[in-house]
Amino acid sequence: MSGSSVNEAGRTESVLQRRTLLSDLLDGPSFAELVKQFVDLYKIGVKVFDESGSKLADFRVGNGDFCSYVFSFNDGRTRCTATVARLKAGPLQALDHERSSPEAIADGTIAVPCFTGLRYLVMPVHWEADLLGRIIFGPFRPDDLAQLPDLLRDMGQGVDLSKAEELISKVRRAPEGTVARVMVHFAQVLATLIAAGQKTYLTSQLHIEATLETNRELEEQNRKLEALNARLKELDRLKSSFLATVSHELRTPLTSIMGYSEMLSQGLGGPLNDEQSEYVQTILDKSETLLKLIASILDISQIEAGKVRLTFEPVEIASVIRSSLSSVAPQAQKKNILLQLSVPERQTRATADREKLRQAVVNLLANAVKFTPEGGRVSVSLTETAFQPELEAEGYRICVEDTGVGIAPEHHRHIFQSFYQVDSSSTREFGGAGLGLAIVKSFVEGHGGLVWVESELGRGSCFIAVLPTIPPAPRSVQISPPAKAPADKNRF
Amino acid sequence: MQLSQAQRELTVKIVYYGPGLSGKTTNLQMIHRRLQPSARGRLLTVETRDDRTLFFDLLPVFFNATSGYRVKVKLFTVPGQIIHNATRRVVLQGADAVAFIADSQRSAADSNNAYWKNLQDDMLENGLRVDEVPVVIQFNKRDLPDTKSDDEIEDTRQRGKEPVVGAVAIRCEGVLETLHSVLQLAYRQLDTRSQLSKYISLDETTFLGQIFSRIDLRGTKLEGDERFGAASTSSQPTEESK
Repeated sequence: MSGSSVNEAGRTESVLQRRTLLSDLLDGPSFAELVKQFVDLYKIGVKVFDESGSKLADFRVGNGDFCSYVFSFNDGRTRCTATVARLKAGPLQALDHERSSPEAIADGTIAVPCFTGLRYLVMPVHWEADLLGRIIFGPFRPDDLAQLPDLLRDMGQGVDLSKAEELISKVRRAPEGTVARVMVHFAQVLATLIAAGQKTYLTSQLHIEATLETNRELEEQNRKLEALNARLKELDRLKSSFLATVSHELRTPLTSIMGYSEMLSQGLGGPLNDEQSEYVQTILDKSETLLKLIASILDISQIEAGKVRLTFEPVEIASVIRSSLSSVAPQAQKKNILLQLSVPERQTRATADREKLRQAVVNLLANAVKFTPEGGRVSVSLTETAFQPELEAEGYRICVEDTGVGIAPEHHRHIFQSFYQVDSSSTREFGGAGLGLAIVKSFVEGHGGLVWVESELGRGSCFIAVLPTIPPAPRSVQISPPAKAPADKNRF
Repeated sequence: MQLSQAQRELTVKIVYYGPGLSGKTTNLQMIHRRLQPSARGRLLTVETRDDRTLFFDLLPVFFNATSGYRVKVKLFTVPGQIIHNATRRVVLQGADAVAFIADSQRSAADSNNAYWKNLQDDMLENGLRVDEVPVVIQFNKRDLPDTKSDDEIEDTRQRGKEPVVGAVAIRCEGVLETLHSVLQLAYRQLDTRSQLSKYISLDETTFLGQIFSRIDLRGTKLEGDERFGAASTSSQPTEESK
């Protein structure tokens, strides 16, 4: 593989910038197989080196015994080593005692003689103006070799010329032109392999680089999203804290307003005429509404801050419902709304936070009364304890049904969110801050229960709360915690 | 640019950038056709089944300078489809100059603008300074109906410093003029930065002359240009294959 470096932008340099090596472009084993077939077919040795001198293929044929014999003499070994070094790493131009091969056959090829009289042909491998390596064909016995050269005779004592002649006769004898033509053919095959290899190599490398680049981009976006998410959570916490503070600060002066108004209405500041009494009563009524709203805001901010914890005790649920009903009775009476209660004969006993459960039912009833026109009907029913499929546990149901305006299906998912209004226009008919149902949901879920609505626009609504007889251990009440995947444990 | 003193080699990288189907690959195909085979390598293209560029196209152009330096100009195209943004950025790495191939059709104005912005972003991401990498704008497909008028293209030219060339790439109109312009700007920028004329004795006339004297310039505005010698007007046979 080509070495990679880092560019100005601190990235690993692309394959398009790097110099490609011959070994990058060829599949080693299949190329070696191809070279071997060439060697077997033409009975001539072939070597291929890349530009750095690394060997990609090296197959010999016929010359092994002769070369070993020569190598066994000191002088022979020295000369042989020098020839091999010249072939492998020497210049690709002909030296003094060498010559270029006939141009007409193999342009750029040089013929390198071995001191034994054998010969090699060396051809550079060029690709798109880059030198990628060299091909070496040989040794072969040129057909113009009449007799063994003197150098071979002078190799040292004990040279057996007749043995040398016998061994050299096993080396392929061929005209140089023929060897050159085979070599050109081999170079053409190699060029085809390089063309295919270059395409595959560059595209596969670039594919990896593009994937890494995409990954880097995604990681960067994830980091930004995480930072934004953390910021949003912080803002949400600040909002809850702000709401809690403001509600508290609003409630203090309101308590005084209500206290003094009550003193006025009781005549402690002197007698009031009828009109004055009516005005003071209006101040008291509106103050009451405001106080409830502030209480709701305070509740929701406490819930959001995770500060509300439920306290469970044995509770007779019907008594909670009766008490809730009595607290909305005055508003119902004002609108001439019929309140109905249906509880089972047998007592429904369960473990619950009495006050929170009561507040949840009051909120549901207050909502029902608010959205039901004059002369309508609001009913609340309680079931006996029995197996509840939604909870997969024993529990009970509380249903609050009204004959009011109803809720369109697209709002069903959202109405339990804090501050959500079905009608958020400035001219809306019904008041409220959109907190009542959010509080209901938090308290019911704090009991391990579920609450939902079944409603059609114009045909009234039915809010159903299913609660377990024995709730799970008390914990902080939360606002619709987002679903989380189970923590992935390290397996290994 | 890569300048290797050891290997006596100069490599210049030109990137053809622009929206999908604006004609980047066609530009390279035309250059490939008009260049003498001895001065160029094969045109390497990797396409999808519907002839869209998948990774890049590469056309190497080379010559030996008298100073003994081998000069290689690598012409790349980026893939134009939106999904290949990461590949575009990788291909743009180390560019010495950019030919921005815009589509002249009025309906393409938005995508031209989006890719122009994309180019600036990709340059920044690659550590390339927008004011240091010259860009030539080619308004391609001048032959199609409902394209921008010459006056509108002149307006575009006035709005920036980049040279603007009109083109019909499939007829090789404006293709070689764009190449000339982008290579000229690339040379000037590199010469300012690395003093090519001083250190490797390669001046602008030689740089452009070595390439354009090997291109069939018939029918282009460069035909008969004295700098490019007789080859530019002679009917040099060139390989028509891709």
